Amino acid sequence: MSYVSLENSESFLKCFEVIAEDKSCIVSDSVLYFSGKTGKGFITVAGLSTGIEVLAINLSMLTEDLTIRFQPAPDSSSFILGFDEIEIPSISTVSIADAARGRTITYPRDKVVRSLIVRVRKSGLDQLIKDFDAGTISSILDSADGPAFLSWPITFKYRLLLNDFMNEIVQHPFRELFTIRNVSMLIEYLLQQFFVMQKLDQEGSGLSIQDTRSLSRVEQHLCLHYKNEFPGIEKLSRISAMSPTSLKTKFKKYYGETLFGYYQKNKLEHARKLLDSKIPVKVVATEIGYSNPSHFTLAFKKEYGFSPWHYLNPH
Amino acid sequence: MTMKSQDPDQEKTHKAFQWQVLSLPVGLCAAVLKCTADRVDISLPDFQQQGYTLSFINYKGDVRIRKSSRPEEKEQPASPGLGLMSVAGRPMTFRTGASVPFAALVLFIPHSWVHLFLGGNASFHKIEQVLEEEANIITCRLGRRQLSLLSTALAVLSERGDSLLNLQNSALALLEYFLCNRHRSLLGVNPVSDIDNEDDLSLIREVESYISEFYCSDTFTVDSILKKTYTSYHRLNFLFKSIHGMTISEYIRNKRIEKSKEMIADNVKSISQIAYEIGYSSISNYILAFKKVYQITPGKYKKQIDSMA
Repeated sequence: MSYVSLENSESFLKCFEVIAEDKSCIVSDSVLYFSGKTGKGFITVAGLSTGIEVLAINLSMLTEDLTIRFQPAPDSSSFILGFDEIEIPSISTVSIADAARGRTITYPRDKVVRSLIVRVRKSGLDQLIKDFDAGTISSILDSADGPAFLSWPITFKYRLLLNDFMNEIVQHPFRELFTIRNVSMLIEYLLQQFFVMQKLDQEGSGLSIQDTRSLSRVEQHLCLHYKNEFPGIEKLSRISAMSPTSLKTKFKKYYGETLFGYYQKNKLEHARKLLDSKIPVKVVATEIGYSNPSHFTLAFKKEYGFSPWHYLNPH
Repeated sequence: MTMKSQDPDQEKTHKAFQWQVLSLPVGLCAAVLKCTADRVDISLPDFQQQGYTLSFINYKGDVRIRKSSRPEEKEQPASPGLGLMSVAGRPMTFRTGASVPFAALVLFIPHSWVHLFLGGNASFHKIEQVLEEEANIITCRLGRRQLSLLSTALAVLSERGDSLLNLQNSALALLEYFLCNRHRSLLGVNPVSDIDNEDDLSLIREVESYISEFYCSDTFTVDSILKKTYTSYHRLNFLFKSIHGMTISEYIRNKRIEKSKEMIADNVKSISQIAYEIGYSSISNYILAFKKVYQITPGKYKKQIDSMA
């Protein structure tokens, strides 16, 4: 098992040194490539002078677990945000932690891991989200009996963004700009989710760990099978081992979205990406599993307010 | 930079010329404007700092760009969905024709910000060099994704507050698109348009050569091109618009009229003969088309040439 431990003031680049030494990897242009023996993929860092550091991990087929530990640093005034998409649904989460209390993240072996760790100074976060109530997050984290970190389930929005990010980061000509843009978007998603979740929490949560695990299995199933028809409540309730009614209410509570709504949004977001890459509407419709293009057009219009054709020809 | 706050009445009357300036948390400054302008000059807001401005404009109708305050300076036609980058403080004016719905987002990028996020970037350095030359503007056409980002960004005008982060994200994405596009064109990949597909480009070249071969024939129609190339009208029009900035029929018309202008200058054939030879079956259609392109009738043009000779 590889283990990286970071003190408060140490830069993310130190991860590199430790891992590179441990696995004898190649580092070039601040990208660390894993050789076939120890896993596949890369780790890269980007440090922005505004006090934001980003560690991007895109790995698969690791031969050992990889643990990154941020030592508790009482005098630190940073947040550590984690956006982890891991093949095991129940540990794919979005989290925010106070660096003062430390954070440990473990990436399991043999799995596909896509993760972005962002360390941002509290003042730096203000810079990104001045208008938002970042204070609420701090106060929840600061309360002595509160959780060491807040976490929420990952949703398709993050999945799509992480996917794009990992595809482009290594060869992007303006890496810093690309990183700040993505971090800014991730934080927007995070805040949206935070406020939705906070509202839902106030209505009384009552989800057990068992429940959340089942729900994330359902979520992953919906995300992966966006090309097929909606699997139907019966099948989903078998996957989650819950009754259809409780699945529906609990899913809504956990993801802030109905089962079908979630499935449909993900599907159409994929469609939009295909349209962006100049694929004809008819082909997109078949590609995401519509047998009739006009059904696709209707669904698209319902979701975004304009038809695919208008999306393609905005002039 | 402070946000301008106005009482609603004043906003109504002066809306046409009022930029709304917002500073983004990430360190950029954004000015947004959405209006229906009737023959006015819209100049960029003054940010009173050193840096670059990156303007994204979209409109319907006729808009021209002026790069300096000198009256003798030539105006350039703009095209809808355009990004323009220049050094802040240099004059740049958008002159609108009759009643044009005009929307713009101007990003101000201070030098300090450039240093933070783009310092030491070789590609950006080249862009800077081009910009620093006298009165230089770098332009880039926006694709559909960018236009939808632009309209998202402009939503800040209608709903204030929590759309600021939204504006910031759209702005950063637009900036990134613009720079990447420049970067690619510096590398020599697809210099003008956002069509980067080899198939599309070769299709356009094929259609162009087909047009230049047959455009004078009176049996030549757009339909015959579609049949020959197995494409849809919308697709071909979309491609033509992104490359030439005009529809396929406009392209053909311009080619015919250009040819007819040459023939008039030759002064061998009569106008009705010319109209017939370049493929117009009706002389009045031809005169209308000629007038649309050159703002003068072919007869008057002929007289002009005769009087000059």
